[in-house]
Amino acid sequence: MQLKIDNLTFAYNKKEGNIVENFNLEVQKGEVVALVGVSGSGKSTVLRLTAGLEIPDSGKISIAGQTAAGDHKFKAAEKRKVGMVFQDYALFPHLSVEKNIAFGIDHLSKANRKARVRRLLELVNLEGFEKRYPHQLSGGQQQRIALARTLAPGPELLLLDEPFSNLDAELKDKIRRDLNEIIKDVGVTTILVSHDREDAEFMQAREVLMS
Amino acid sequence: MQLLKKIKQGSPGWFLLTAGIILLLLIPNLNIIINLFGKAGENWEHVRDYLLINYFQNSLILVLASGLLAAFLGAGLAWIIAAYDFPGRNFLSWGLILPLAIPPYIGAYVYQGMFSYTGPLQTFLRNDFQLQLSQQYFDFMNIRGAIFIYTIFLFPYVFLMTKAFLSRQSASLLESSRLLGKNDSTIFFKIILPLSRGAVVAGSSLVMMEVLNDYGVVKYFGISTFTTAIFKTWFGMGDLATAVRLAVMAMLVIFVLLFLEKLLRGGRKYSYSTSNIRPLSRRKLKGSKKVLAQFFCYGVFFFGFLLPTIQLLYWSFLSRGGELLGTLNFALTSFLTGGGAAVLILTGAVIVATTARMSSSFISNLLARITILGYSIPGAVIAVGVLLFMLQLDQIFLFLQTGFGIEINLVLSSTLVMLIFAYAVRFMGIAFNSVNSGYQKIGESYFEASRTLGKGVTETFFKIDLPMLKPALMSGFLLIFIEIMKELPLTMILRPFNFDTLATKAFEYASDEMIYRAADLSLVLIFFSTAAIYLITHHRRRKNNAVEN
Repeated sequence: MQLKIDNLTFAYNKKEGNIVENFNLEVQKGEVVALVGVSGSGKSTVLRLTAGLEIPDSGKISIAGQTAAGDHKFKAAEKRKVGMVFQDYALFPHLSVEKNIAFGIDHLSKANRKARVRRLLELVNLEGFEKRYPHQLSGGQQQRIALARTLAPGPELLLLDEPFSNLDAELKDKIRRDLNEIIKDVGVTTILVSHDREDAEFMQAREVLMS
Repeated sequence: MQLLKKIKQGSPGWFLLTAGIILLLLIPNLNIIINLFGKAGENWEHVRDYLLINYFQNSLILVLASGLLAAFLGAGLAWIIAAYDFPGRNFLSWGLILPLAIPPYIGAYVYQGMFSYTGPLQTFLRNDFQLQLSQQYFDFMNIRGAIFIYTIFLFPYVFLMTKAFLSRQSASLLESSRLLGKNDSTIFFKIILPLSRGAVVAGSSLVMMEVLNDYGVVKYFGISTFTTAIFKTWFGMGDLATAVRLAVMAMLVIFVLLFLEKLLRGGRKYSYSTSNIRPLSRRKLKGSKKVLAQFFCYGVFFFGFLLPTIQLLYWSFLSRGGELLGTLNFALTSFLTGGGAAVLILTGAVIVATTARMSSSFISNLLARITILGYSIPGAVIAVGVLLFMLQLDQIFLFLQTGFGIEINLVLSSTLVMLIFAYAVRFMGIAFNSVNSGYQKIGESYFEASRTLGKGVTETFFKIDLPMLKPALMSGFLLIFIEIMKELPLTMILRPFNFDTLATKAFEYASDEMIYRAADLSLVLIFFSTAAIYLITHHRRRKNNAVEN
């Protein structure tokens, strides 16, 4: 089991009530799961809790058999080996494409790092973009670089927050196809969040409805 | 539990450092309040029975009148610049900030010099027109003169805040008012003024705090206020206990003002129901209206910047070659002190703001409140608090040395350490606001992306936050730098023996009627301030253009 969430409960603000309540989820290794729901249903919050960006009020999260949160333990985001592609991509504007991708793998030797960056750029079909800066890329290209950056350290779990929300309809089809291909190619366990059930179908993902 | 929930996300090191900084900022202020319960000084009864009412009156009149006039002047100019287009508007939109480059105490002696019996105006009238008017027409050294000085040199605070606010307003607001048949002046009084009330009040309260903080103008004009009284009881009578009591009184006035500000700003916050806002489009002015707008704006610029600068240049020309070496020397002291202190203060502010960002909104609001406290309290009051604190530290050192034989050859009172510490207490709020608004512009997702890529809080700070904060740090540095260059009351009270900045020396020369000598120093000071204002405003402008394209 790659991800196991038991009875997860969380509130940003006690007065506003729980945004996630007694939520359960099991994801097998290599599986692609889509959390589908309207805005405010807490689907993005589940991602943030899984990534370690929020601390649950109660419940338990285990990633690859290890407790990430719960039982009075909390593993910081940087120690979870969970990759996340943000809705706005969050590419570091002061770093080149190459340095963005290499950001999470600076423990590798220089040669290995270079090789890995090149392989990832191949994977996302953006060879030769090493020296560009984020503002020189189109929206679709930015997303693929963000994906490459997230995949670089070889995460146990890939989280995609509304991956198709910033794209126009024409581009959307192509991106969905590309993304699907890359994920299947790498075989990484993936959870994506969307408000559109069509996205889930398209990605051949197991749908989990949230309300 | 909620608190723990948020703290866990940060790292304890940042919280400890922040707690230390906050404690240091608070101690001087708490010191004063605690000392209130101590024994009163020997002069206190006299001060209380005969002088206090006068201090209250003068301070209140100065603060309220200057605050009100600056509010009208600043808001009116901001409206003209934001809503209309006319030749010169581009220059004026930053030129009208320039009066801030002239510290009020320099403006005060320049205007007094111009209007005095031997000054250029009266000499001109006497020699060329044989006009001998009664001196009362030219008497500048009174409360009215001081109010004029404060208004003309401090109104840019209101101008800046209101202009920034108006530039975020929606064009359809004005257009729909016009379509509903309202003319421009109705729109200004019925729509714009109520809407921008918060910004005008905020700017005007900055003006009032500057007025209460001021030592130079009132001292030069011989008006008794809390600040001059604290100086007098302390230096003149050597009565620290009475100075402390006066400081507490001044703090009370500040709390009343802060309360008033909150009241006037009101709980109402207007916000737009749509996020799609088209900014105000400026209307081209023609004919007499154009001339009127130009006349008004350039007129204010003339009296607030151009005229005093020309007068200073003229005086400096008369004394040419006078004290070049001395001037350079003071400039260097100011430069190094200002620059060094600004770096230190900014470092502290970055630590506090980084912690604030990782904390819940309750904690970050609290941190913001505490850091800005020092800016609301007059410099002379802070000086009293800081001195008390340093004396206590020295006593502790002495105790350790005599009691336990621990060698600490360290005396902090009357050293540069004390002065820079006082600057930090006073200007930490400005630095914090700069860094904080930088963080708000950056947003959270870069920080979070870095965390999910395996970097801890501190590594993320150095690799991601710090490089991205650079523009905010730059403008924060410049802001604090000019504030320290211009600073007078703290420096006058706390400086080490024989330590002079451009500000203190210019003020001393002016007080000794050595106007020509003061002119050189003042010009250097104004030059640095102008350069800093230019850099800040034009850097922002470039960035705005980049976004628009």
